[in-house]
Amino acid sequence: MMPLFRILRLIWQEERAALWRGLLLSVAVLVAGAMLLGLSGWFITASGAAGLAGIGIAFDVFRPSAGVRMLALGRTAARYGERLLTHDATLRALARLRVRLLDSLARQDADALSRLRSPTMLNRVISDVDALDGVVIRLVFPLLAAGVTLALAGALLAWLVTPGIAALTVGVLSAGGAATMLLLGRASIGPAAEAEAGRQSLREVSIEHLRGRTMLTFDGALGRSRAAVLTIDEGARAAARRLARLDARAGALVSATGIVAAATALLAGGLLALGGTISPAVAAIAVFATLALTEALAPLQRAVAEVGRMRDAAARVAPMLDRPPAECPVASANPPSADAPLLRLRGVGVAAPDGDRPILPHVDLDSHAGETVGITGRSGCGKSSLLSVVAGLAKPLCGQIELSGIPLAAYAEHDLRRRLGFLPQRSQLMSGTIRFNLTLAAPAATEAEMDAILDMLDLGSALADRGGLDMLLGESGSGLSGGEARRLALARVLLRRPDILLLDEPTEGLDDATARKILPAIRAAIPGALIILATHKPAEIAACDKLLSL
Amino acid sequence: MRPITESTVDPAAARLSAALAPEARGIRRAGWLTLGASLLWLVMAAAVAVVLGSLASGQSGVGEIAVATAAFLAAGLLRAGLSLKAADLLDDAADRVLARERAALVATQDRLSPRARRGASSEIAALLTDKLPLLAPYIRRFRPAALRVAVVPPILLACALPISWSVALILLVAGPLIPLFMALVGMAAREASERQMDEIGSLSALLAERLAALGDIRLLDARGRMLTAFEASSESLRARTMAVLRVAFMSSAILELFAALGVAMVAVFVGFSLLGEIGFGSWATPLTLGQGVFMLMIAPEFFQPLRDLAAAWHDKAAALAVARDLKAIEEEGAEEILGQGEAVAPRPDVPEIALRRAGLGTVTFPDLSIRPGEAVALTGPSGSGKSTLIALIGGLLVPDRGKVLLDGAPLDRATADTWRMQVAWIPQAAQFPAGTLREILASGASAPVGTGDMLSALALARATDFVERLSDGLDTHLGETGGGVSGGEARRLMIARAALSGRPVLLADEPTADLDAETGAEIVAALRAMNAAGTTVIVATHDMALAAAMDRRIALDAALGAVA
Repeated sequence: MMPLFRILRLIWQEERAALWRGLLLSVAVLVAGAMLLGLSGWFITASGAAGLAGIGIAFDVFRPSAGVRMLALGRTAARYGERLLTHDATLRALARLRVRLLDSLARQDADALSRLRSPTMLNRVISDVDALDGVVIRLVFPLLAAGVTLALAGALLAWLVTPGIAALTVGVLSAGGAATMLLLGRASIGPAAEAEAGRQSLREVSIEHLRGRTMLTFDGALGRSRAAVLTIDEGARAAARRLARLDARAGALVSATGIVAAATALLAGGLLALGGTISPAVAAIAVFATLALTEALAPLQRAVAEVGRMRDAAARVAPMLDRPPAECPVASANPPSADAPLLRLRGVGVAAPDGDRPILPHVDLDSHAGETVGITGRSGCGKSSLLSVVAGLAKPLCGQIELSGIPLAAYAEHDLRRRLGFLPQRSQLMSGTIRFNLTLAAPAATEAEMDAILDMLDLGSALADRGGLDMLLGESGSGLSGGEARRLALARVLLRRPDILLLDEPTEGLDDATARKILPAIRAAIPGALIILATHKPAEIAACDKLLSL
Repeated sequence: MRPITESTVDPAAARLSAALAPEARGIRRAGWLTLGASLLWLVMAAAVAVVLGSLASGQSGVGEIAVATAAFLAAGLLRAGLSLKAADLLDDAADRVLARERAALVATQDRLSPRARRGASSEIAALLTDKLPLLAPYIRRFRPAALRVAVVPPILLACALPISWSVALILLVAGPLIPLFMALVGMAAREASERQMDEIGSLSALLAERLAALGDIRLLDARGRMLTAFEASSESLRARTMAVLRVAFMSSAILELFAALGVAMVAVFVGFSLLGEIGFGSWATPLTLGQGVFMLMIAPEFFQPLRDLAAAWHDKAAALAVARDLKAIEEEGAEEILGQGEAVAPRPDVPEIALRRAGLGTVTFPDLSIRPGEAVALTGPSGSGKSTLIALIGGLLVPDRGKVLLDGAPLDRATADTWRMQVAWIPQAAQFPAGTLREILASGASAPVGTGDMLSALALARATDFVERLSDGLDTHLGETGGGVSGGEARRLMIARAALSGRPVLLADEPTADLDAETGAEIVAALRAMNAAGTTVIVATHDMALAAAMDRRIALDAALGAVA
């Protein structure tokens, strides 16, 4: 349960005041409900008795009837206020949880970040975070509100009726509520985790099945693969079905608890009234208030259905909120040296993306500001791996990398990123305006600079009639063609004016006419920078001052 | 006794009914059970009325109290039991609906021809895994609530009427006012809840997008700025969501207010009648205490179905949205591939492939024949139908006119599977089933293959080098889209897989697209080697080097191909 408590504490701390008020109001709703029905029962029974005794005229009817109306109105108002308050607080807390998650994950290393790009991983994280949305409103509040309400109602009943009847009815209700949570809530943990795992693997196998449908058709394996998908579905449904059974049983247990408690009140109250210890009207309070108190237990049904899933999600989300220890670069004694080459590689070896065997042993390179260096070689030879090592995203297997005479590892992240720009093969744009995407990269850039860069990359006129800098991009930059998105990603990194710019096949996917303009445009934008590009296009290779053939 | 909110004209509602139709009996039975459970309240109300009424009039005894309590308890427990039974029935029905809809969706989607408009696999998967289960709350909560709303309040009203016409009047006025308000506010609430779903959905989408972009954000040193922007977006989402929720909460507050005031008015009216302060409202005889208590007991139950329905309102909106998605996908196109894609015995001989006046849409293909053992390139500008022709030959598409012939017999539903068992296919974008390289290579073969066979197939496909570089060699695990290998490497693996399959015909769609010249040359060499070993090789390509390396070129150009 610890991870769930941790998430809860995080949410609670953020919105403590609003949540306390919300909790108070939700108790008020329940207590007012019990008082409304209890008072009504007392009023009717007492007035019936007074009417029978012929003393109806002397009976004070106005205070009870005013009380009934006030409770009815007050209860509605409290309910409305409680819902607004708790939902608002919850939404705020959820936004914070997501911000915290983003913040912590953003500090992870490059490998972890690239894993986050996989749709599988993203789906799992998002599904888990979403599952935690209800942790306050649907799990903690019902439990606390039920507990506090029962305690208050117990005290009231003890005062108004008798301590014995109060203890009996509240005892039955508490025991039933506790049994529901402890027995069924606990039993839901396993199926909830299984149902979620089943759902995620159903998503994965069905995507794989549908993507591979033509391949499977030729293999004669379409039916077999479909059967495999449906087997996963069966498992997922079986787990969901077990959860639903628990949910139904929780509902039955809660209502049976209410019935037994009310029956107890009816029997005990009736017998005491028969013996003359209390009046029939007071017995009516006990019966009707107990009936209304069942409402306090009703949300437990939903809590049972969700507690397992929340626990399961919290176990995965909570560790993601841990910030990795801040990296502590070895402060270099020497300031950057003007004489040293801007970038020096000595015997650098890099690993294949999925292995640890060197695919690129011992690269040596000295290059200076203003140069353009091409990295060539057949596909799979390690061009991209070398660039990501130089960009400080991965460690080289062996060898030294120095920027202005200082080892790469000695740079603080912020200083390294300021000096070194990198356009990998795949970039992610974000929803929002073009301006937002650009300012995110270069907060100090002026509109004129942005327009100039877009024009240089032949993008300005293409975007102009779609709103220019105000053009709104959809999710992950949708709305732009592949080539436009590529150039916008390039504009983003150029606006940062890096001293060293690493480009991984920058014109891949662009038509030839556009592609030919790109390299000169980059050079014009950052005339004094060292540009290193991985490419296999002859025109780009020809434009390089220096070539590194792998 | 149709649910009052059902609309017959809405296609989404019709689709929803169709999905539920096979389970109609179970759902109806469960509905009756929950009705029974609701009506048992009358027994419970009567039991309480008897106890309190007799106590006040001093005519009570221990036996009477015990019997009434037992009746109360029995009716109450039976009520819980009936509800449980109904819930199980409904859960079963929902489970079967889900199973049926999922199986149907997978089975239609995986046999769609390339020409049908196929949704993205991830969207279909989202429908399959996340959206279809939203039918369950509709079945479990909305349907029985809709039935109860139609039946329970009128029956309770009918029970109240003989005792006190004025209590019945109070209920009658407060009750139908609720559906009226619900109709007004409910429309707003429905729209509101849909918008709220969108808003919350967009917070998740925003988070997913930012998570996917964290790598870029690091490179741009933009963590702080990204977080500020995310906070601002989520704050504005919160503000908009709250505006929507206010409407939704207001509508349910109105409902609760009427329910609470209805109960309060019944209580006050009954109290005043019992005191004799109000002389009207009941029939000839004055109201007794027992009758008053009975009235007070049934008043909340009168409003309960309405509250249940209001709480389940959103379930219906969600289920209709799912039905709308299903309908949209089903209407998009149902053109299927020929055959079932099942494993069958292959044709005994390798046929000659021929096209006779075949055409599809605006494209008419030249007549052609390809003999066993030939290496043929299908060339032409993009849009001339190269890939379409490959798909026609593979039985993935059916020509609108003319025929695809195998040894003179038409390729049709009956022969497609046996023909495809002879064909190895190499798609433009390599696809691997998840697994180790060894499993992937073996998955295309009908007989078990040994390591020796694999190594020689890899050698033939010019793939030995990089497989040796993989960390675990043949046991390396390759990811979803061939993670860890480049595009050219993936194609060579596909060729090795085709060689291992031992199939006599190879169909390849643009096998050298997007590759550098050197890698392209290796693919060409691999294809030549396959052909030298006896395989019929048919490639669609616009790579002249590849086309020149084949025995023959079939040009799909303006003269023979595309006809405007």
